[in-house]
Amino acid sequence: MQKYANPTRFYALSGKVLPWLAAATLLAFAVGLYLALVKAPQDYQQGETVRIMFVHVPAAWMAMFCYSTIALASAIGLVWRHPLADVAAKCAAPIGASFTFLALVTGSLWGKPMWGTWWVWDARLTSVFVLFLLYLGYMAIWQAIEEPLRAARVAAIVALVGFVNVPIIKFSVDWWNSLHQPASVLRMDGPAIHMDLLAPLLVMGLAYTLLFFTLHLIAIRSEITRRRIRVIELAEVQG
Amino acid sequence: MDFSAPHAGFVIASYLVTFIVLLGLVLATWLRQRRAREQLKTLEERGSRRRRRAGKDGDSA
Repeated sequence: MQKYANPTRFYALSGKVLPWLAAATLLAFAVGLYLALVKAPQDYQQGETVRIMFVHVPAAWMAMFCYSTIALASAIGLVWRHPLADVAAKCAAPIGASFTFLALVTGSLWGKPMWGTWWVWDARLTSVFVLFLLYLGYMAIWQAIEEPLRAARVAAIVALVGFVNVPIIKFSVDWWNSLHQPASVLRMDGPAIHMDLLAPLLVMGLAYTLLFFTLHLIAIRSEITRRRIRVIELAEVQG
Repeated sequence: MDFSAPHAGFVIASYLVTFIVLLGLVLATWLRQRRAREQLKTLEERGSRRRRRAGKDGDSA
């Protein structure tokens, strides 16, 4: 594992993986959208509105997954001082923020026809909004501190402190009274929804996950290149 | 999907927003990488030109 964490080796290996990953992402989205918009039946209660779930739920999953990735990479960066871990954490943030934004907006678009309101300050919605603010704060730290090593340390501490919000999001619907429905897929006793609706949801979840890995790899490669540029520019100034 | 169903507008809006945000994210990530690659190429070419010039100056001295 350590071998692939070398930035030069990572750059070469990721260049080979990326086209396959991009193709798999496109395929998963094509199948997922076909199942979500054509094959999936209307829900007996929600009607056509159930189709919002196929873009909303994977976005919410990815919002938490991306933040967990940032927290894990931050911990690795802090403990082992591995530069690629810091880069991985930094590059996951804009992707995670976008997924969180999508989860909030599509959730709101589902809430209006189903709950009769765009927004309520209940535990689930509020904790996801806090997650969005955490993403913005995390990215602001990277922008504000010019020296990458110092920025990585401060950002890693903030990311790890903010990670406490992830289990709060997950269990908020169990711990507090919430307008938001409890988990219906990731449950101890198995999914509570019919296979006709579960299949498109899982395929869209896979598509979102593949998209994250594709974009994350591209962003990491781009950040490695930018750091090379920084080193060359510093050498030019000093020499 | 039945486009005449009640609340179909909310469904369309959700997919439209998702498409716009994800497309923007893909484009931003890709353009950032392309810009960085071009900048590195320019810097490396400038560096190798300078090294060649320095080599020639060294030979003539």
